[in-house]
Amino acid sequence: MPPLGHLHMEHVLQAVGVLEAVILRSFGPEGGQVLFTRDTGQAMLSRSGTRILTALHLEHPLARMVVECVWKHSSATGDGSKTFILLLASLLRLIHAAASKESNVSHSYSSTKAAEASTARHLADKLLAFGLKELDELIATGVVPYGGCISWEDFTVEAQTPSLTNNLCVQKLLRSFFHTRCGYTHCDFSSHLTCELLSHWKFKNQLPSFSLQLVSDYFPALHTPVSGFPVRSSRLIEGQVIHRDFATPPLKTDHQPVKAVVLTGSMQPTLLSTGDVILHFSSWMESSLQGIIAKLQTLGVCVLLSAVKQSAAVLALATQAEMCLVECVSEDELSLFSQLTTGSLALSVISKTGINAVLYVHVAFQDSEERITIKPYSLTEETAYRSIAIQPIQKCVLKPGCVLSAGGLFELLLHYALLQHGHSSSVSPDLNIDASVSQLLANALLSVPQKIYSHSPHHFLDLHCCREGDKLSKVSELDLGLESVSCKYQLLLAVLQCVASLLKVDAVLPTHTALHTQSRRLTRTSWEGTEDEGED
Amino acid sequence: MSRLSKKSPSVCTDMPLDNTDICSKLHLLKQILTSCFGPTGRLKQVHNNIGGHVVTTSASSVLLSSVSSSQPFINLIKTSILNHVSRFSDCGLFAAVLCLSLIEQIKKSALRESVAIRVNNYLLALCTSYLQREDCGCRVKLDFCSTQNLITLARSVISSKPACVLTEPETLHISKLAVQAFLLTVPCSSPGIVSFGRIVTVPVEGHSVLSSEVLPGLLVEMPDGLSEEDKPLNPLSVVLFSASLAGDISELGDGVIEAHPDVDTDSQILGQLLELGRQVINDEVKLFMCQKVIHPVLQQYLRSHGVIVVERLGIALMEPLTQLTGAQPVATLHTTIPPKTYGKARDLCIKHFGSKTMLHLFPLGESAICTMILCHRNQTMLNELKSKSEVPETASVLMCSQTEYLLGVELFCCALESAARALEHDGGSSLIDLTHAHRWMLPADAIKETMEESLGFCGCGLVQSSPSKKWTYLNTKYSDFCPSPVFKDTRVQPRVLDSFTAKLSALQVAVETANLALDVKYIIQDMN
Repeated sequence: MPPLGHLHMEHVLQAVGVLEAVILRSFGPEGGQVLFTRDTGQAMLSRSGTRILTALHLEHPLARMVVECVWKHSSATGDGSKTFILLLASLLRLIHAAASKESNVSHSYSSTKAAEASTARHLADKLLAFGLKELDELIATGVVPYGGCISWEDFTVEAQTPSLTNNLCVQKLLRSFFHTRCGYTHCDFSSHLTCELLSHWKFKNQLPSFSLQLVSDYFPALHTPVSGFPVRSSRLIEGQVIHRDFATPPLKTDHQPVKAVVLTGSMQPTLLSTGDVILHFSSWMESSLQGIIAKLQTLGVCVLLSAVKQSAAVLALATQAEMCLVECVSEDELSLFSQLTTGSLALSVISKTGINAVLYVHVAFQDSEERITIKPYSLTEETAYRSIAIQPIQKCVLKPGCVLSAGGLFELLLHYALLQHGHSSSVSPDLNIDASVSQLLANALLSVPQKIYSHSPHHFLDLHCCREGDKLSKVSELDLGLESVSCKYQLLLAVLQCVASLLKVDAVLPTHTALHTQSRRLTRTSWEGTEDEGED
Repeated sequence: MSRLSKKSPSVCTDMPLDNTDICSKLHLLKQILTSCFGPTGRLKQVHNNIGGHVVTTSASSVLLSSVSSSQPFINLIKTSILNHVSRFSDCGLFAAVLCLSLIEQIKKSALRESVAIRVNNYLLALCTSYLQREDCGCRVKLDFCSTQNLITLARSVISSKPACVLTEPETLHISKLAVQAFLLTVPCSSPGIVSFGRIVTVPVEGHSVLSSEVLPGLLVEMPDGLSEEDKPLNPLSVVLFSASLAGDISELGDGVIEAHPDVDTDSQILGQLLELGRQVINDEVKLFMCQKVIHPVLQQYLRSHGVIVVERLGIALMEPLTQLTGAQPVATLHTTIPPKTYGKARDLCIKHFGSKTMLHLFPLGESAICTMILCHRNQTMLNELKSKSEVPETASVLMCSQTEYLLGVELFCCALESAARALEHDGGSSLIDLTHAHRWMLPADAIKETMEESLGFCGCGLVQSSPSKKWTYLNTKYSDFCPSPVFKDTRVQPRVLDSFTAKLSALQVAVETANLALDVKYIIQDMN
């Protein structure tokens, strides 16, 4: 690195190349998982691009900038972070090649680097302008005719008639999502389970977005991780599972419905007021507790859900009053419980559910709306992805949008559309620059399906063929699921923006506050160390 | 400022399965676990470099949790197997050996990982559907009218752990006790959903294994100053406290306490406790028990009125005690004790086990609570025995939902074969017969001519050797054949039984873990 920290194309390429090397391992049908461990013993297993990138401790400012761009994009669309990096790397390489060719011809040797950088910058700006102006129209004419359409209405209708093809569409959309997140093995199973879960979460007089938001907000409370079982034993359970056992003997009465009370604090008064004799205080405290319990009893309450631990006296008194008490229930679960029971009073049946050795409290609700708790069993930490699964459905399904077979079809179709556009525009000489730009973008796009099919070239050929003739039929044989076109469009724009902003940076100024003076040299060596390791 | 340290870079491993270090570690782990597998498995001694307890074991739960690796890839596999063991407490070694052999075989075959994962899934689906078929030859229907199969199951589990150092009659004795204890926890007369009772295990060191026994009811620590003579009339009234009766004021919470010099708070509290004691004596309670500590003055007062006092029971005994006596725990000290919280016990007596003297409580009516006294000559063996004697309990509870068992490990397929082969450690070789596909063991010193005689019975004891049978060595090539079902002879009982549910889950967990391991392409270790 030069002392002033001048940035050249090579540095940008190098930084992005390191990220690409990590991402490639988990990309496409042959991709696997990345295992992260901390010294604290925490481990994370993931195929999700965003999680991998954000978990890396990056020192290089450019790499951090890229990760920030990816993060912004994926929080907006919930998908496409791995393709982002691949497209970015391939675009940068092509721009670099084009720029170095041009600058070699037209400039003297001494300023090659500077000329190269300015050509590259210029090219990136043109790419971005082209993307903002022409791309949506190109996609509309060149890609959308090959796709299908799904909307939330289709999805909700499907619950009554599961045989409809639209249900399959949503399931396929989820399938490709799970495929890129947790691998081939369980993607069918997980997408089916998620579909079933979502179709059971319906509220009367509420927008579909409300129930989707609720599921994604309360996912930790709705999800019971059970280790030690095969993934295939995951299933849905109707009602809510509270992840605690009863602190008192479980309910014996068969009277239904049951009234429950949610406690957020300790029932036992703890503050001594000055002047109290200790003995008087504790006897007053006990009698006040007895009063509370008796009052609850006259109200017909027989279940107490408490957010905190209650004293031994409370436990004993509740047992004697034949009430059952669940202690230390998490905030999330309590708020979900009250959310589900408002409007229809606290009417519920409570039983002890044994998920083999672990005992939980199971609440079944007695009203027309069905609520279901997802309860995936899992080997290790794998279940964590399911929480993020909700987001893309929200994005894609809520707005009626076009979907396309996954597996590089979008990139390929757009590649041809761009080439065609280039040919037609090159006829008129004033748009000549435009042609070279669309050519460059077309080549960059082609790198994505190339990476997907790097192990099976004949599938790549299949993909080429299917474009010509019978459109989707061939691709559906590959059965890779579906992906949203609008997400892809946003992805392309985000990549072009990122390229433009990356190339605008020409120097890194390492500033040091007094704090960092000592560690400065360390910073640089350790960063170079990471680079080397990444490239191995 | 010196505390501000630079974050160190992460350690990255690309394609962990191509890494020679990881591969050799996996191989080592496989060797360790393979040599522990089965009834003739070898023991391992685990001790760490900073001293401390030396563990002698061949059980996967103990072995895997005490061996730690710096390599996260190994830990991933380890955790997965341990999770299985924590649920089923059985078949951990089988799952681990199968999983590691699968990974090794796939590495050798140079098959692409994603293809291998699909193949594994397909074969697993084939195996599970075969095992779940009604006519599957590996399963034995369990007859609950006879305890024979239950004892066989318990014996397979206990005999698979050589660290217990048990002789043949001792193994049988413990197996019988385990089954007896299990049967005692099944409630006789409760309609509706059956909930099992509890087995409380009391380990006794320094006695012969054959003096172990199962007792109905519960054993609690012997209170001081009680002799054989003062036995109260039965049945006895029991009170059970869950709050401390030591006279402390710790549970009052935060606040300002003003102490007046002329008020003696201690004696006031003690007075309150003695008031409680007076009520208990008036209600003719004969056994006074407390989870925590009882004030010595109160203890003395109660004893002088002929009440037996037991303190410091601990939380673990509280639930069995409430089930046994029907008493409800009391935690209020200032109000009269409600009469319905009192419980009843039929009788009590004093029992001596070696150095231990304990109070034995009998239930008034039918109760599903029992105590298992486990004796062994030394502590290590006792620990191993204790951990293993709980297994048949879990296994029995599990199989009640599915009354079928799996015969010993007798499946085919390359990695499964190597798991089957791992059962032999004495230098002998494993054989498979070509009619029933059962596994046979050939001692190392046997000669070819006398093969029929030296084989005797197959591994599970269902098939007897005969000159018409053909054998082949496991892990060699042989032509495909369809194993024919064994002729059902009611006199021949299988000698080895495994729990079907545990085995099936172990098979699935092994394949899933192998698939997961094959799917890991990159490892990033944060060193901060």
